[in-house]
Amino acid sequence: MILKLVRRNVAATKGRLLLMLLSIVIGVSFVSGSFLLADSLRAIFSDVSEQIFAGVDVQVRAVESELATGEDATRFSDEVLDQVADLPEVEYAEGGLFAFEQIYTVDPEGEVNRPQGPPVLASSWAGPSPVSSWTLIDGRAPGPDEIVIDTLQAEVAEIAIGDTIPIVAPAIENPVEVTVVGTVVFGDEASGGVSPYFNLFDLTTMQTLMGAEGLLDGIALNAVDDVSNNQLIAAVEQATDFNPALEAVPGATLVQEQNDEFGEIIDIIGYVLLGFAVVVLFVSIFIIYNTFAILVSQRIRQFGLLRSVGMLGSQLTRMVFIEALIIGVLASILGLFGGIGIANLLKWIFATASDGGGFPDGPLVFRLRTIIIVFALGIGVTLGSAMIPAWLAQRIPALAALRDGAAGAESSYRRRLTISTVLLIAGVGLYGAGLFAGGLSVSGRLSLLGFGAVLLFLGAVAVSVFFAATVTRFIGAPIERLRGLTGRLGRDNASRNPQRTAATAAALMIGLALITGVLVLAASLRSTFDTILEDSVAADLFVYEEQQGLPFAGTAVDQLLEVPEIADVAGFVDVQVELDGEVTGAAGFDVASQDRVLNIGLVSGSWDAGNNGVLLYTDEAEDLGLGLGDSVNVTFEDDFNADFEIVGLFDDNTLLASDWVFDRSVVAAHSNINQVGFLGATFVEGVDPEAGQAAAEAAIANFPQLVVQNNTEFKETQEGQINAIVALINGLLFLCIIVAFIGIVNTMALSILERTREIGLLRAVGTTRNQLRSMVRWEALIVGVFGALMGVVLGLLIGVGAVTAIPDSFISEVSIPWGSAITFLILGGVLGVVAAFFPARRAAKMNVLDAISAI
Amino acid sequence: MTDQMVQGATIATALNVMKIYGEGETEVRALNGLNAEFRRGQFTAVMGPSGSGKSTLMHVMAGLDRATSGEVMIGDTALSLLSEKELTLLRRERIGFVFQAYNLIPTLSARENMVLPLELAGRKPDADWFDQVVAAVGLGDRLTHRPNELSGGQQQRVAVARALVGQPDIIFADEPTGNLDSQTGHEILDFLKVAVRELDQTIVMVTHDPLAASYTDRAIFLTDGEITSEMNEPNADEIYNHMRSLGA
Repeated sequence: MILKLVRRNVAATKGRLLLMLLSIVIGVSFVSGSFLLADSLRAIFSDVSEQIFAGVDVQVRAVESELATGEDATRFSDEVLDQVADLPEVEYAEGGLFAFEQIYTVDPEGEVNRPQGPPVLASSWAGPSPVSSWTLIDGRAPGPDEIVIDTLQAEVAEIAIGDTIPIVAPAIENPVEVTVVGTVVFGDEASGGVSPYFNLFDLTTMQTLMGAEGLLDGIALNAVDDVSNNQLIAAVEQATDFNPALEAVPGATLVQEQNDEFGEIIDIIGYVLLGFAVVVLFVSIFIIYNTFAILVSQRIRQFGLLRSVGMLGSQLTRMVFIEALIIGVLASILGLFGGIGIANLLKWIFATASDGGGFPDGPLVFRLRTIIIVFALGIGVTLGSAMIPAWLAQRIPALAALRDGAAGAESSYRRRLTISTVLLIAGVGLYGAGLFAGGLSVSGRLSLLGFGAVLLFLGAVAVSVFFAATVTRFIGAPIERLRGLTGRLGRDNASRNPQRTAATAAALMIGLALITGVLVLAASLRSTFDTILEDSVAADLFVYEEQQGLPFAGTAVDQLLEVPEIADVAGFVDVQVELDGEVTGAAGFDVASQDRVLNIGLVSGSWDAGNNGVLLYTDEAEDLGLGLGDSVNVTFEDDFNADFEIVGLFDDNTLLASDWVFDRSVVAAHSNINQVGFLGATFVEGVDPEAGQAAAEAAIANFPQLVVQNNTEFKETQEGQINAIVALINGLLFLCIIVAFIGIVNTMALSILERTREIGLLRAVGTTRNQLRSMVRWEALIVGVFGALMGVVLGLLIGVGAVTAIPDSFISEVSIPWGSAITFLILGGVLGVVAAFFPARRAAKMNVLDAISAI
Repeated sequence: MTDQMVQGATIATALNVMKIYGEGETEVRALNGLNAEFRRGQFTAVMGPSGSGKSTLMHVMAGLDRATSGEVMIGDTALSLLSEKELTLLRRERIGFVFQAYNLIPTLSARENMVLPLELAGRKPDADWFDQVVAAVGLGDRLTHRPNELSGGQQQRVAVARALVGQPDIIFADEPTGNLDSQTGHEILDFLKVAVRELDQTIVMVTHDPLAASYTDRAIFLTDGEITSEMNEPNADEIYNHMRSLGA
């Protein structure tokens, strides 16, 4: 019987449940989409990993130091190839050298060819072989001064076999011409969608281009039949005299390592998306709660009747629960498939945000794990949200059937006040602890912040119930003055059920709070950045890799120093060092330039770090109890170990973001590759800025991945990057606003239905349809503005709190986006009015007589 | 003879029942130490002016509300000793209800509404009895209709049938004709009378309509929460005059 009642109830209230269903489906779809996308990426990149090492039984490579940085592997002498190539166990051996974003082809306009998003990879290639990752499509393998490119690049850049094209590379100062002799695809066939570009050369040419003569990144080995990988590895170790700097690794391990490497990035994408999905689901909790609460209160007499003819309170609760269960299951099923749409939407968003880049194409992967999580979340969230209304339903007395206008059961005022205050305080406490507490791991901090934010939001929503009436009256006051009676009625309706108003506004509040918080962070980041540019930077030019901030060859610094228009160049690079036994980040900086280009604010000691000196950030010095003249033991990537003396203290680490600063030449000497991450340059006095910039650009034309920007351009680029991230985050958060919108529509529609009699009465005594419509619209506007106001205030608090907590090296100034805040208040009102469109129409269309006699 | 035997058994008793709402200044004594007895096979009208406590009496007798003090007995069961759940089960098993309005679950058909209490209790309706009740209410061709497809009278007949199908010890009816036109009202009252006479049911009906009360075996009159008088085999005129004398 309960099931029958549930079925009939659901069927009878379809329309009312539909909007709620939609709001859950959005959240669940997002969850499902995140998993589908991440799993699909995993599958795609797993294929890529397989193809990279297809046919490789064993690879010989240098043992990587834990202090190694950068994309390119540690190199070793190509004499090793001679040692292993002729082993009886080896069927085929090929030495390889690779370059990530270093070597490019150049188009007739002098611009380098690079795809949007994916990288440009260069490699040595001996042609089709058992260990080749590429399949030759046309032409032949490259010889000296020849190049083979991928078909995608050939098509996009209109390069044909036989063409002679210029290429640029770190070790050659001017572009050199090479002849295109073939085209390839990665793996067995061309992949659809986005793909990296490949530039393939013979080994000797590749070594010359990279300035790595006589060096290899790895040797790919193919074993003769009947020789196991282990036998091959043993033979290789024997042949290389058990050189501790080398290792031989089986193909399966290589694929696994590669998968893990891809996996790390995919996991991050997956978790970030999932984070947004959870936020959207969280927001929809309030809408589900509200809908069930209203549905229960609307059916209060029916429930009373059921109670009086003998339904147990527990049966009533079960009935509401089963209704929620049905909705939850339905939402999960729809959400699972909605995930396909969301996954495609996300692909589109990323493709748009990265200007044609984005994710590679591949089939979406449905895994059992996805299905289980989607169902668990969809059903869990719905049941969880319906819990309170269902539980309160059990307390509806049988007499409710007999009373006119019976009110639903409610928890006591004091109890609610206590609970909401506790929630709020606990939320603020945890959030604050997450922000300010010392000695926390990143995951510990994040879980504190996340859990704190959840409680904070729940608390804020619960507490907002207590001033919803007052605030909505306040917001509504001018409307009443302007619009007279209809404004007055709208205002009263908005404030007469504070719980409902608060729950309706909750979704909007949370969405806008997060968006506002992000904007506060972004604005503060921007103004911090402006301050750095003004205070810490004297440079006229900035040189760096624009797309990913990759480090580049340190020879660029020397090339720039030769330019007559340029006075000083200061570059820095991030490295990992072992410092008194602990691995820590440090920077190599051209200390000889002192504060003439990039200023780190030396407060005591000298710039003269030399070969065994180091500069230390003042705060860190204080924390460690170190001072000038003290020494620390340092190990570099190449195992070089020495004591370094602290020769200077600096107080501004915003630019370098490192506490320890060595001379860059020291870092370069002890790194496998001489690299620099970022550099600034100043002009000789009197030089025309444009001419100076042009000269600098010409001097490092062999680094086409680098941009040379003046102060204004640099600022624009950096702000553009901040803005792009903010747009992406807020674009995803916008889903919350959509859910919030649905919530307002839903509540307004349900409220109208509930007030049928009252509306009939208003109509009967002469309220026109227009007045009625406008009454509903004013109510929704007030609720919308209320939600927006709460959200903006909360968002400002959260944002300012976060900015205060973030170390000054990252954000040091609080900046509040007032314009956006005001825009959001208006947006809230507009959202309310638009949301009220259909409910208002429905109210106006009610037949007066039917409405009055409705029960 | 049989009449005498059956009517002898007391089905429901109110012993010194008090029902007080509010406290202090706003205290209202809806029932003020009331005593009453209802017997098997009897059709009783509870009458009285507005605010006399007749609805409260019904709520307390039927286990919908609890007495502040005193005791209500349904058969041998003392209601004050029952938990909320036991009270619900008692309503389900032993008591039937007919309300003035909003009597039916709108999403269930006429038939489903009739068997609702039984199904909630997990019982199967007795097929013969069900047919008998359906025949008596004359709704055989309306069983699959939803309440909104039925007239007001038909809806109320479904409600009466629902009260009867479970064969309760006693049925309480709260102004069952209050929302109906007089013609339909008479039909319902006739039917209630038939249920008592021929189906051997016990009905307590709260009403303020002398004409409705004239269908009953006995009318009791409440004033200020106490039974002030009682009338056997009443007719409408007597009741009307008596009510006038009570100042209603």
